[in-house]
Amino acid sequence: MTNPPIIALEKVSKSYGTSPVLRDCSLTVARGEVVVICGPSGSGKSTLIKCINALEPYQSGSIRFDGVEVGAKSTNLPKLRTRIGMVFQHFELYPHMSALDNIMLAQVHALGRSRSDAKTRAEALLARVGLADKADAFPLNLSGGQQQRVAIARALALDPEVMLFDEPTSALDPEMISDVLDVMVALATGGMTMLVVTHEMGFARRVADRIVFMDHGEIVEDTPKAAFFTAPKTKRAQEFLGKILAH
Amino acid sequence: MQYHFDFAPIWANRDLILDGLLTTMALSALGLILALIVGVIVGTAGAAQSRALRIAAATYVEVMRNIPLLVHMYAWYVGLAFLRLPPFWCATAALTLYSGAYVAETIRAGLGAVPRGQNLAALATGLTRLQALRLVIYPQALRIVTPSLASLASQLIKDSSLASVITVAELTYEASAIEGQTFRTFEVYITISALYLALVTLVTFGLMLIPGARAQGVQGFGDA
Amino acid sequence: MPEVVLKNLPFLLAGLRVTAEIAALSIVGGTVLGLAIGTLRYLRVPLLAPALDLYVAFIRGTPLLMVLFICYFALPALLGYKTSAYSAAAFGFIAFIAAYLAEDIRAGLRSVKPGLMQAALATGLTRAQALRLVIVPIALRNVIPTLFSQYVRLLKFTSVASVIGVNEFTGSAMLVNGREFAPITIIGFIALTYLAICFLLSAAGRVLYARLAVRT
Repeated sequence: MTNPPIIALEKVSKSYGTSPVLRDCSLTVARGEVVVICGPSGSGKSTLIKCINALEPYQSGSIRFDGVEVGAKSTNLPKLRTRIGMVFQHFELYPHMSALDNIMLAQVHALGRSRSDAKTRAEALLARVGLADKADAFPLNLSGGQQQRVAIARALALDPEVMLFDEPTSALDPEMISDVLDVMVALATGGMTMLVVTHEMGFARRVADRIVFMDHGEIVEDTPKAAFFTAPKTKRAQEFLGKILAH
Repeated sequence: MQYHFDFAPIWANRDLILDGLLTTMALSALGLILALIVGVIVGTAGAAQSRALRIAAATYVEVMRNIPLLVHMYAWYVGLAFLRLPPFWCATAALTLYSGAYVAETIRAGLGAVPRGQNLAALATGLTRLQALRLVIYPQALRIVTPSLASLASQLIKDSSLASVITVAELTYEASAIEGQTFRTFEVYITISALYLALVTLVTFGLMLIPGARAQGVQGFGDA
Repeated sequence: MPEVVLKNLPFLLAGLRVTAEIAALSIVGGTVLGLAIGTLRYLRVPLLAPALDLYVAFIRGTPLLMVLFICYFALPALLGYKTSAYSAAAFGFIAFIAAYLAEDIRAGLRSVKPGLMQAALATGLTRAQALRLVIVPIALRNVIPTLFSQYVRLLKFTSVASVIGVNEFTGSAMLVNGREFAPITIIGFIALTYLAICFLLSAAGRVLYARLAVRT
């Protein structure tokens, strides 16, 4: 392979006490790829992506980001995490700070940028997600969709090489979903490497390169988009797709 | 450290310590029961429909709570000296009125925490206001506030130590007396503190065993 | 204002000033210490945990008067140093309130939803940075009412310092009463004064909370 994958999971297993959550999961993501992970609740999708930036520990297997073993004790995690952007289901904006400050915080403290550079970048990103006028607004005065877009800007502010999304639209009212998805589509078409846990199959159809289907902690299917939607290989994936596309 | 530990004189005075402990327990038990009575009355008034009652209750609570307990004690022992109340009863009165204010606040909050619909449901089945309060609202409110009441009880036991200032021969008073006799300063105070600790722990856990009490942290709410 | 109070006002006000001083000292010192202890307990630092547990459990199960006696009589005897009543009282109050504030702050830290810590870490902040810039500021804002109720409690507790001979407000008033024998007036006066300042302190807390609380 001329281009080594930027993310490589190999036989990753994780349990909470005696309950297994991830079983022998292996997955690679190449630079510029958009991979969608779907599956029923409790299948381990969110846990899997939270292992990639070491927010969740794993017991066995290996996760390499650009060749660096994520679980190794010698790895500088804060530094690694500045190369990976993450967007959470419940936005997780810092409630005591304005949108602008939210986006500036890690730039200043994790990357060491000057406040003025950070501010310029933050303002540019807010404009990019369509919220230039909300720079001084506090999260409690923003709608869910607006908060999520600020959260995306916050993640992009560190110029990450990869963006991880954990069910970014699951907590949103229907009218706001498309605003957020539009931002994500723009990112994808702009060449960002993305790993997205979602139920939004319309989004997957538009920009995904591959679909990964998980069930009970296992990666059941991992196929190119077209193949997945026309002829999923496994029965479980077929059932899931049937239910999800039925409405 | 030059200090030589010697617990023997403490043990020798164990009868004084026991007397003090019993007085503390009596004072606390009495204070708690009376404070509960006062607190239930004032607390219920604080959650009443009538605005006048609510204001009266709030006034009681604010006045009694914001005056230091020591000043309460002096008020009965020195201020109302003409009543010739024995110190024990001065302390009891002070503890009752002061802690009663805290109990009242806790009960008022507890009553407020019971969903509105419960009262409506009870009235709809033909119960009188008083029956609804007694049979439906109160049991639920008490279940909610048991952890707070446990913490108030333990606070009351600690507060009773101030009775020593107005010459009630409870545990702290005896501690000072024994210290004066034996000069075993550290041993006395550590022993007495350990006794308070034991008493407070026992009472807190005991109250939490009341059936239906929510198993919440033993750390106190309530700023008694 | 009654004559007996007016006559002795300078003395009483001096006592009030001492009360204010001790309270201010203890509030500031206690909050700083309480923040340190509360954060350390929240982080469950293994070496310190048993010592901190013991300290908090001891203070919370011991009457304030006992704590003051220990600070003024027992510890100096044990360790062989001399101390003034004022210093012993200040030391005792700080040690006392810090234990309570530590628990309140710890509860506040735990009530911050874990997702926020994850979000902060995900952007490359270290644990220490995440605590300093995100978790602690949010927790502190949310526990303002609890902290202020402890501060008001401390203000009332300063009266107990009179028992070990500190000439704060209550102590001064009882001394005046010893001279003047007008107990109802004098005690009424100090009761009203405490009422007023405690009420003001509570009100200040409510205003601060209204301004700073973060509603999520």
